[in-house]
Amino acid sequence: MSGLRVIVGCKRVIDYAVKIRVKPDKTGVITDGVKHSMNPFDEIAVEEAVRMKEKKLASEVIAVSCGPIQCQETLRTAMAMGADKSIHVEVDAATYENLQPLHVAKILSKVAQEEKADIVFTGKQAIDDDCNQTGQMVAALLDWPQATFASKIEKANGELTVTREIDGGLETIKVQVPAVLTADLRLNEPRYATLPNIMKAKKKPMAKKKPADYGVDVGPRQSILKVEDPPVRQAGSKLDSVETLVTKLRDAGLVPS
Amino acid sequence: MVGGLCKTFLKCLIGQHTRLSRDHLTPELILHLITPACHLWHASLENSPLDDPFWAFYWPGGQALTRYILDNPGLFHGKTVLDLGSGCGSAAIAAALAGASKTVANDIHPVAEVAIEMNMEKNGVQVKPETYNYLMCQPTPSQNTPKFDIILMGDMFYDPDFTHLISKWLRSIHPDSMVLIGDPGRLPFRQHPLQSSLKCLHQYNLTKTSQLENNGLTQASIWLLHEPR
Ligand SMILES: Cc1cc2nc3c(=O)[nH]c(=O)nc-3n(C[C@H](O)[C@H](O)[C@H](O)COP(=O)(O)OP(=O)(O)OC[C@H]3O[C@@H](n4cnc5c(N)ncnc54)[C@H](O)[C@@H]3O)c2cc1C
Ligand SMILES: C[S@@+](CC[C@H](N)C(=O)[O-])C[C@H]1O[C@@H](n2cnc3c(N)ncnc32)[C@H](O)[C@@H]1O
Repeated sequence: MSGLRVIVGCKRVIDYAVKIRVKPDKTGVITDGVKHSMNPFDEIAVEEAVRMKEKKLASEVIAVSCGPIQCQETLRTAMAMGADKSIHVEVDAATYENLQPLHVAKILSKVAQEEKADIVFTGKQAIDDDCNQTGQMVAALLDWPQATFASKIEKANGELTVTREIDGGLETIKVQVPAVLTADLRLNEPRYATLPNIMKAKKKPMAKKKPADYGVDVGPRQSILKVEDPPVRQAGSKLDSVETLVTKLRDAGLVPS
Repeated sequence: MVGGLCKTFLKCLIGQHTRLSRDHLTPELILHLITPACHLWHASLENSPLDDPFWAFYWPGGQALTRYILDNPGLFHGKTVLDLGSGCGSAAIAAALAGASKTVANDIHPVAEVAIEMNMEKNGVQVKPETYNYLMCQPTPSQNTPKFDIILMGDMFYDPDFTHLISKWLRSIHPDSMVLIGDPGRLPFRQHPLQSSLKCLHQYNLTKTSQLENNGLTQASIWLLHEPR
């Protein structure tokens, strides 16, 4: 089963450390001038794909990103991490606001067919929309088995043995390739791209495509009614001793007097 | 060619931003390289005072090719050798150590020319650095690439933009030249039309350091180009 071709979905999202601000008209969140990076779960997926390549399980790792021109930075990062080449499917900023998992799943499925991929690897979810849909939809569109929330992936006799994180425990399943995998947080710790890797990635091939090249209509299937901030938490206060804390808690009736 | 004062400046810059390293597949050679101990290793590209310092990294294809030369000196003894895209100059230096009668280390990067000179001095051999661009020239019968017995290419298939120029150029060189290629399995190489004219001579495992510098790569091979080109 050596020589698997692996496609990895790499979404450019607002960096996980940035404080999110909702637009005044509540149609979405402010993205202009905000630091973006690769969705952390996608970084984990890229890392795992590159490790599969290093273990000679995979022969080629192809990073794919759908979105505006800045996605090319995300793809350069994926290639600095070890992806062999990348495909940027350009969707202009306005259209991208309404690009949904179904669109991305359709594009990834088409790319998988064109590239004769054996594995489509995505993050379990993107930390911006938290949809947790793309990988599953790819599996449905391609009619491939799926192993989602993967925290460990091994190969055994032409099959992949995948440990999945499920509520309160772990599940181990076997899937035949071709298959869709989605990465959970504990699958691995992604490597950091150093200068030599970043420099060499500058020359790796990046193909530029449009959704229409894959015959995908990116017209929205849902409309966003409103986006709201979580309720504001009441301000806390700083206390100078444990005694004061205990008194406060007693006064509030939170611990028995 | 870089002028005198400028060369002194570049030598200082190279000395300042690199370490002398033997941590690679050819520890017989000591080379000025950017290593994990260097500030630049951790810097971003925008903050680098050196523009695309490809010569400051010892590419996996070049490491394997240089190893092959050091392990098979008889092939190179008394031969004229061209190392195209020489980078740090390692393959040319190894050929000179093996007793080549003339060795040209060709790289279009002007800083590479200075780095090659520094590396050649450190290893106590003579090679001729040059920056002529064979790939971009329009070869006419009168200015064809001079005849070399052996042409070396270490990791020259890293840039898909000029892989086709390499094919074109290879058709223009003297038919008796032996062409040796070192490559770690880069996609533009694996998918290159030349593939059907190549024979694999040897495969090397990369060092741990080289793997860290080249995410996803673990081996590099030596290929011999045979007819038809
Ligand atoms: C890629 C990614 C995936 C994630 N996936 C999940 C997930 O699946 N499920 C999930 O629940 N979360 C997830 N998270 C969220 C992450 O686990 C949170 O960072 C974590 O829950 C800690 O939250 P925190 O912001 O309160 O941070 P922390 O700083 O870690 O704080 C933890 C807690 O410590 C206490 N604390 C910290 N500092 C102080 C202080 N100065 N004084 C008093 N108390 C203090 C507070 O009680 C605080 O809530 C994910 C995050 C990332 C980046
Ligand atoms: C990938 S590096 C390989 C360096 C070295 N051979 C090694 O393996 O370590 C490619 C080198 O080719 C040089 N180069 C690029 N285009 C060139 C050309 N047209 N002619 C000669 N050298 C070129 C670059 O400056 C760079 O140093």
